[in-house]
Amino acid sequence: MPVVEVSYSRLQKLVGKASKKQISESLPFLGLDIESEDKDLVRVEYSPNRPDYSTDFGISLGLEGILGIKTGSIKLKIKKSKTYAINVKSNVSKIRPFVTGIVAKNGKIDDKIIKQLMAMQEDLHFGIGRKRKKSSIGIHDLDKICFPLTYTTTDRNYKFIPLNSKVEQTISEILQNTEVGQDYGYVLGNSAQVPIIVDSKDDAVSFPPIINADKTTVTTKTKNLFVEVTGINKGDAEDMLSVVATILQSAGFNLESVNISGARNKTPKLEHRQMSVSPSLINDSLGLTLNNSTIISSLKKSRLDATTSGKNISCKIPPYRFDIFGPMDLVEEVALGYGVEKLTPQLSSSETLGMVNPISSKLKSVSLTMVGLGYLEALNSSLTSKRILFEMTNREPKNPIAVLDSKSQEHTILRDSILPGLLENLSRNIHAQYPQKLFETGTVFFKNDPIDEKTNFAAVWANQDANFSEMKSILQAVLKTGFNLQIETKTATHETFEKGRTASILVDGKTVGIMGEINSNTIENYKIRVPVSGFEITLSGLIFD
Amino acid sequence: MSQVFHEIEKKIISILKSESNLTPEKIGELTQLSPDQVRRGIEWLRLKELAIVNESQNITFSLGKNGLEAFESGLPERKLVDLIKDGSMKISDLQKQLGSVFGPAMGLAKKNNWIESKENELSLKTYPSNIPGEKTLKQIGKSSVSEQDIDKEDLQSLMRRPEFIIENLIKTKQISLTKNAQSLDISDSDSGAIDVEANVPEIFVARTHPLKDTIDEIREIFVTLGFTEIFGNLTQPSFWNFDALFTPQDHPARELQDTFYLDGVSSKKIGTPDQIRKVSESHKKGWRYYWDINEARKMVLRTHTTCVTIKHLAENKSEEARVFSLGRVFRNEKVSYKHLVEFNQIEGVVVGSNANLRNLMGIQREFYRRIGITKIKFWPTFFPYTEPSLQTMVYNERLGKWVELFGMGIFRPEVTKPLGITKPVLAWGGGIERIAMLKYGLDDVREFYNNNLNWLRSATKCQ
Repeated sequence: MPVVEVSYSRLQKLVGKASKKQISESLPFLGLDIESEDKDLVRVEYSPNRPDYSTDFGISLGLEGILGIKTGSIKLKIKKSKTYAINVKSNVSKIRPFVTGIVAKNGKIDDKIIKQLMAMQEDLHFGIGRKRKKSSIGIHDLDKICFPLTYTTTDRNYKFIPLNSKVEQTISEILQNTEVGQDYGYVLGNSAQVPIIVDSKDDAVSFPPIINADKTTVTTKTKNLFVEVTGINKGDAEDMLSVVATILQSAGFNLESVNISGARNKTPKLEHRQMSVSPSLINDSLGLTLNNSTIISSLKKSRLDATTSGKNISCKIPPYRFDIFGPMDLVEEVALGYGVEKLTPQLSSSETLGMVNPISSKLKSVSLTMVGLGYLEALNSSLTSKRILFEMTNREPKNPIAVLDSKSQEHTILRDSILPGLLENLSRNIHAQYPQKLFETGTVFFKNDPIDEKTNFAAVWANQDANFSEMKSILQAVLKTGFNLQIETKTATHETFEKGRTASILVDGKTVGIMGEINSNTIENYKIRVPVSGFEITLSGLIFD
Repeated sequence: MSQVFHEIEKKIISILKSESNLTPEKIGELTQLSPDQVRRGIEWLRLKELAIVNESQNITFSLGKNGLEAFESGLPERKLVDLIKDGSMKISDLQKQLGSVFGPAMGLAKKNNWIESKENELSLKTYPSNIPGEKTLKQIGKSSVSEQDIDKEDLQSLMRRPEFIIENLIKTKQISLTKNAQSLDISDSDSGAIDVEANVPEIFVARTHPLKDTIDEIREIFVTLGFTEIFGNLTQPSFWNFDALFTPQDHPARELQDTFYLDGVSSKKIGTPDQIRKVSESHKKGWRYYWDINEARKMVLRTHTTCVTIKHLAENKSEEARVFSLGRVFRNEKVSYKHLVEFNQIEGVVVGSNANLRNLMGIQREFYRRIGITKIKFWPTFFPYTEPSLQTMVYNERLGKWVELFGMGIFRPEVTKPLGITKPVLAWGGGIERIAMLKYGLDDVREFYNNNLNWLRSATKCQ
């Protein structure tokens, strides 16, 4: 989950009429987890579906609601303007077909606001933008741009001065040399033509979804902003724009529209949506008996508009709340506005009878019987390494199942055997008191259109007098006592076990496992200093299906 | 230290007071204790620093096969001189009577001037009263004699002969009392009592794994709350792990850096055609993108156990149900004191027309109460597949702060509808290691999988 750092004093200034304590106690009830606090600064974790909470402006809108200071939805006041326009050429339709935008004027821009806007932009790119693939955003200094703009395509030799650069670079150079180019160039694929926004003087404004032009850089001297969003579908682009527009309006900017036309593009409306929800769905889902007026006031505290409409509650949802899909989302909005702290837990009697899965019961019997025989239960990862699974035990890998891009060298392939892990455990305990007797039950994996999972059971015994026969007695005892099964052993060979002291384990004539004295090669690999005996059998198909 | 002595110890002490440096055998003889009682008594006294055990080595001699024969019927040279004591005899007759030892016996007797030979006969010159070795033979006889009691010169003549003498190396223990023990008055100590305050050696129990204990405890609690345990595979098609739970295919959680994908493994069968069609429609409508069935086929290591419960619900479509699934889940994370790549999760659902959020909170509160956690509260949170969503915060007394435990919520209609589930489904779940860490007071989650015997042998079972 993303994290944003905000200051209590700024939140207090924005919210007004709220103490630091009230704010700090309310944050979790907006779904904002306080990760850490340092005097005035607080780091909060917010849900990726609420990018409006990536700025202190957005958080204060939520706080105003939940504290009852200002309720109801935030309406975007967009002045219709004919000054600003973007013309879209049809050549963009195969690469990045949609553009939308807005103008924000007369705001105060300081370092703190720039920092917040940058954080919001990053979050939008990562979240709904899906790493800029679905949609991406550019924020510019309005006064450095000559309207109308054209959204079109260009070839990779096109040159302009990109953000944070002093020299002109070609599109190809930007994609190769800049960090953003390397990170997001993938979005454009191998296409010869790339999207570009140019102004009426034919100067580049933005090379979506990679980088803005340097000349439109927003600084603390900037008064007016131009925001453009491009994307592969109109809905996502407008969702993104609505978050930015809402935040900029809350930050004190006056919004003005940008006319968009050409190639199926239109000027964004950024209107409220209507959605209706029945009070019984709300009360049944939450286990409450709220009357309509409480429901309405709760929705308003969640910064939505609501009125009674026949038997239902009709809601107006501002465009930046695209996380609201349907009536169940409104149920949550009621819960938040009403106050989750007011929901009291209620234990209803169960109409169902509980049951332990028979597999769990049987595995527990194995464990308890082994404990009775003096064995200690171990637990190892089922995602392990080639080293433990094959190299140390001299086993040949047969069709191992690997995972992609593991962050840990020790967890790269799924185990097909439990015993190697137990031997590894012994090697890490050579200074602990002997005898050491360990067992484990767990899942092992095999490729078989696609994967077979079986439950195996293995044990090891390390001590000066560890030997084959007593190990066989142990296995015999656990299967006899636990499941009334008789075992037979037949001479066998196995890479991990000593020749002449290895046997396959049979039940009813069917091979179910292997046992014996671990060979000196394996013991030396693991640097174990005493003899070790062990066994491994497959329980699936033997004591359960 | 209290001076309480066992009857065995008392007997040994009183014997040793009158005679020191006794062997355990001698002590046994004098005290009438069994060898095992003597051994134990000596060990107790040694640990209490009341007895000194001096180990020494001693050599004893006993007779071999030929030695025993000579002991019974005389040395060959004695037999020879006895035969000719009353007159000379033919060599060939003597050879017949004495067999293979005749040669060496004649040689020895000649050398010592006891006999002389004329033509083919032997006759006596001087009858020896003592032959070297006879004294030793008689002394050893059928028992054994220690080195210091034997006439070494006399022994030498026997040592050279094959299978006459067996040399035994015997380790003996000699026990004496320490000064403290010499002055002990044992008459007033309780009869039959032992030193109950003394330290004893540590014994390690065999046991189930502490984390397994926690898992069993949690399983039992939910079973008694009316839940039935279900099982599912650890490897799952993305369809059940993500798509069925309304997680869009381009969602960051589905990327390689968070989820383990199996290299080159896809599942041909992921669901019924109806399930696949409806889930894909739900995605297209909700998330506005091209839904790719090949993405849904990719096999992953399950990132939660929710895939097991949702599949169960889709297959059974129960109107009333309480089920849970418990087991390993995987995340592609860097291993640290906080994070494991593989850990255990429990996840359960309640299906029913009357299921509501407060009931769900009630189940959680009851669960925490039973594991001994009473200071809890609920905070709103976000999960892609539940709405509304809450998380439980529990107060960790040791850390002095609120920590997040189970998450919960009502399955979104976007999840349930495509799978034909019509009744509300309450879902909850979370990591088990976190609870076990609270229980065992651990700060490093890796300890559960280190299999460090010192920890496993010492972690207290009931916390």
